[in-house]
Amino acid sequence: MTSIDATAARPGRPRAAMRRGVLDRFTDSTAIWPVLVAATALYLIAFVGYPVLYTIIMSLQEVSVGNLRSLSRPWVGFDNYTRLFADPLFPLVLRNTVLFVGLNVVLQCAGGLAVALFFQQRFPGASFLRGLVLAGWILPPLVIGAVWKWLLASDNGVLNYALASLGHIAKPVYWLSDPATSLLAVTMANVWFGLPFNMILLAAGLAGIPRELYEAAAIDGAGPVRRFLSVTLPLLRPTLYALVALSTIYTMRAFDLIWTMTHGGPVDSSNIFPVWSYKLSFEVFDFSGGAAISTLMLAVVFVVAVAYLRSVRAEQSL
Amino acid sequence: MQGSSRRQALAGLMGAVAVAALSAGSAAAGEKITMWHIFGNATEPALANLAKWDKLNPDNPLDHKFIPFGQLSQQLIKGIATGDVPDLITIDNPVVASFASQGALEDLTEMVKASKVIKKDGYFPGSWNTTIWNGKQFAVPGEANTLALYYNADMFRAKGLDPDRPPRTWAELKAASEKLTDPAKNVYGIGFSAIQSEEGTFQWLPFLQQSGGNLRDLTSADSVAALALWADWVKSGQASKDVLVKRQFEMTSAFLGGGSAMVVSGPWELQRMDKDAKFEWRVAVLPVREGKNIEASALGGYVWGVPKGAKNPKLAFKVIEFMSEPEQMKQAWSGGRLPPVASIAIDNPSNPKAYEVFKRQMEFAKARGPHPAWPQISAAVQTAIQSALTGQATPAAALEKAQAVVKPLLDKNPIDGL
Amino acid sequence: MDQLLSTPKRWMLTALGLAIAGCYLFPVYWMYASSLKPSFELNASPPTLVPHAPTFAAYAWIFTRENMARYMGNSLVIASAVTALSLVLATGAAYALSRVRSFWMDAVLVGIMLSQVLPPALLATPMFVIFRQIDLINTQTAVVLATTTKTLPFAVVMLRTTFAQIPVELEEAARVDGCTRLSAFLRITLPVARIGYIVVGTLVFLLAYGEFVYPVSLVNKNELQPATVGLYGFVGADYSDWGNAMAFASVVVTPVILVFVLLQRRIVSGLTAGAIK
Repeated sequence: MTSIDATAARPGRPRAAMRRGVLDRFTDSTAIWPVLVAATALYLIAFVGYPVLYTIIMSLQEVSVGNLRSLSRPWVGFDNYTRLFADPLFPLVLRNTVLFVGLNVVLQCAGGLAVALFFQQRFPGASFLRGLVLAGWILPPLVIGAVWKWLLASDNGVLNYALASLGHIAKPVYWLSDPATSLLAVTMANVWFGLPFNMILLAAGLAGIPRELYEAAAIDGAGPVRRFLSVTLPLLRPTLYALVALSTIYTMRAFDLIWTMTHGGPVDSSNIFPVWSYKLSFEVFDFSGGAAISTLMLAVVFVVAVAYLRSVRAEQSL
Repeated sequence: MQGSSRRQALAGLMGAVAVAALSAGSAAAGEKITMWHIFGNATEPALANLAKWDKLNPDNPLDHKFIPFGQLSQQLIKGIATGDVPDLITIDNPVVASFASQGALEDLTEMVKASKVIKKDGYFPGSWNTTIWNGKQFAVPGEANTLALYYNADMFRAKGLDPDRPPRTWAELKAASEKLTDPAKNVYGIGFSAIQSEEGTFQWLPFLQQSGGNLRDLTSADSVAALALWADWVKSGQASKDVLVKRQFEMTSAFLGGGSAMVVSGPWELQRMDKDAKFEWRVAVLPVREGKNIEASALGGYVWGVPKGAKNPKLAFKVIEFMSEPEQMKQAWSGGRLPPVASIAIDNPSNPKAYEVFKRQMEFAKARGPHPAWPQISAAVQTAIQSALTGQATPAAALEKAQAVVKPLLDKNPIDGL
Repeated sequence: MDQLLSTPKRWMLTALGLAIAGCYLFPVYWMYASSLKPSFELNASPPTLVPHAPTFAAYAWIFTRENMARYMGNSLVIASAVTALSLVLATGAAYALSRVRSFWMDAVLVGIMLSQVLPPALLATPMFVIFRQIDLINTQTAVVLATTTKTLPFAVVMLRTTFAQIPVELEEAARVDGCTRLSAFLRITLPVARIGYIVVGTLVFLLAYGEFVYPVSLVNKNELQPATVGLYGFVGADYSDWGNAMAFASVVVTPVILVFVLLQRRIVSGLTAGAIK
């Protein structure tokens, strides 16, 4: 790539300067910023704003198949929420969701970073292999769920077969059908699914770190660990913050994998909020209950988004 | 809602008048009949029937859309919420009452009464029952399926059991299952699906009925015995723990792969058996409990319904009638389903013995419900099954919890015959 | 630090890399292997790692029974349109959000993140109402617009990070030299952000390529459906035709994997050239 100084040295072509008219004056003013943001904001308000509002409203009403069509439905205040909080399932699903999201975010980001760092090294085939790892992200969720269900089957699953052949286990592990491990099993599959996504974004972030910084650190006598802690990590922080926030959101709405693998069972041991919300809305036709869970998820993500913003801003003011 | 549907009706009427004026005669010529159905890749007989209608009725062809089975309720709900419904839809039979009780389906009672093709007497009672709510008819059975016991005759012989005498009672079934279980060879005695979804309920209800128990009385000794039967199989290692997460299809796959000697499954698997089984397999009617002698099986299959707000209910009903003619219904067997009409016999059926077994099971197949809160009832039953099979609760304790949910629902809306 | 690695050590890393990728890709391999197994072998116990008698029957089946060209054409059109729309829309917002700090900008960012919380399954119904209002039901435009709601927030957040990593000084230097903000952005910032665009664009494309709920709820015509909807046709009420489904998925996924691996080289050439020097 040509160096930026070369591009920057050519700007003052006389004609460009003469044509500097209304448009340029507008783009050079601060008035441009709200306009730039508006396109995206209006788009999202137009297409997501209404559905979100619709969901929140529904969570405050009594909704059935019969009054689904009209919007003037009986208001019940926070009844749907108190009903959910009182449901014996609530603490269990909450615990599952926290565990599932927490484990996924940590493992996906840490694992993604480890893999990205590994392939950052220069060895033959590094870039090609890194490209291949992403193939996992391309499979449709339905297929991923089905394949993992096969791999994790107790009786003729590949994982148990491999572990048994290596002599690690004497009896099959009931990955999906034991309530003690089912959440772990779906987490495993979901980490597998999400890791490449984190990896490639971190790889791009790593590429943005100037090599000179490493070289300078090396000259100062910093070892690999020190270089990682004092150069890589601080410079990668913006990407990491964004990834943590995004994987939290993406994991929170993970649905297809669990649906295909366990349907939330056994005995709700792998049931998380989006699965519960879907079951309430479309299996039991408790639309208000499903909407209330969705609204709770919105509230949680609101907190995550604000936290993300605060860390980003704190970073920038350093 | 009423306003707009009246407007739609008016518009439809005006359109019909205009068309009638032009074509002078046939009321709705040129109008397409919209249909949402679940006929995917493996249900070709049904698709052939749709094509046949189009060929015979070029004036009113079907504008049909395939909807994956798992999406069916969601799409119908979307249709109801937005007023954008098709003229005709296939519905999974246990949710008919939920939709009907909320006024989401057209009342077809009068049309069925006047019909020359659809006659209540011919239908299997279980199938017919799924379409009735509050004494009115909201759907017409489209196809039926039920459960029976598949078994591996080779394994029977190897363990000294007579494949010509399949288990007829629970005691015989338990004994056979114990004998057939062979951990050294990775073989379980029996397979069934206890997954936390409607399929789990579907598979367990026949055992509940055989036990002499019922949904009204889940805490009775008989009901508890039905759940203990399943729980013991898992506990003793005669059934895989994977029954808790595997669908019926997957349990049958295990049977086909030699992983279990028997499996509870339906006629939809017959084609796969023919193609994939590397052993001699047979089908037997589900056993009865000694001392009770109650024959029972489950009732599955879709029904035809006309959503409220459909533009062409009359035309839609014509399609239903067409699909209910013996000629079309007979196609069901080649797709591994049964015609819901008892009097329609398949001539020279493939797998004649299995056909006899499943047809016999149909006589005893009971509807799930019909009940407007069937999904809740079913969810409570699923939780009970799963708690008992994981050992988190005894069958009695698990059913007691379910009873607390189910009983009030049944008190509010009783199910006939319970 | 590359010089520190000796040649044997590099090859050891290659071996390790192969092992990592190999383990990682096992589920993908399993999809391909399953698509070549006759259906009785799918559930063999113990499992067969390599198909004993590979058969292309499943491929023959899907190519004769399914309109693969149509499915994949639809998927391609939808995913490409979503990618283009998302990147164009996201650019302005991401750039502004990376350069300006104010309460309102913060509020917008929070709002953007909130917009992607709910899974499409729960948003599809109200969204249908909107698209009916603007008379776009049964068009791929509706699917593109709806899917973009899912990918746009992602693109904004990631591109914002990309822009934030580009020193403002570069633009300022250009503007001192007489560039307008627009030309500074187009000639300085955008080229530097190139890698970010390729990565984000690729991921957006893949997200859109795999979307299932929006097409199935917004389009009533089988001819307009993408491959994901076709895939669900193999999973029925009481059967699932996994052998054919795996072949179907393999056909849908393979070209993307190939393009992706090829594209990876381009990304890498950008990476190794050193984006900011």
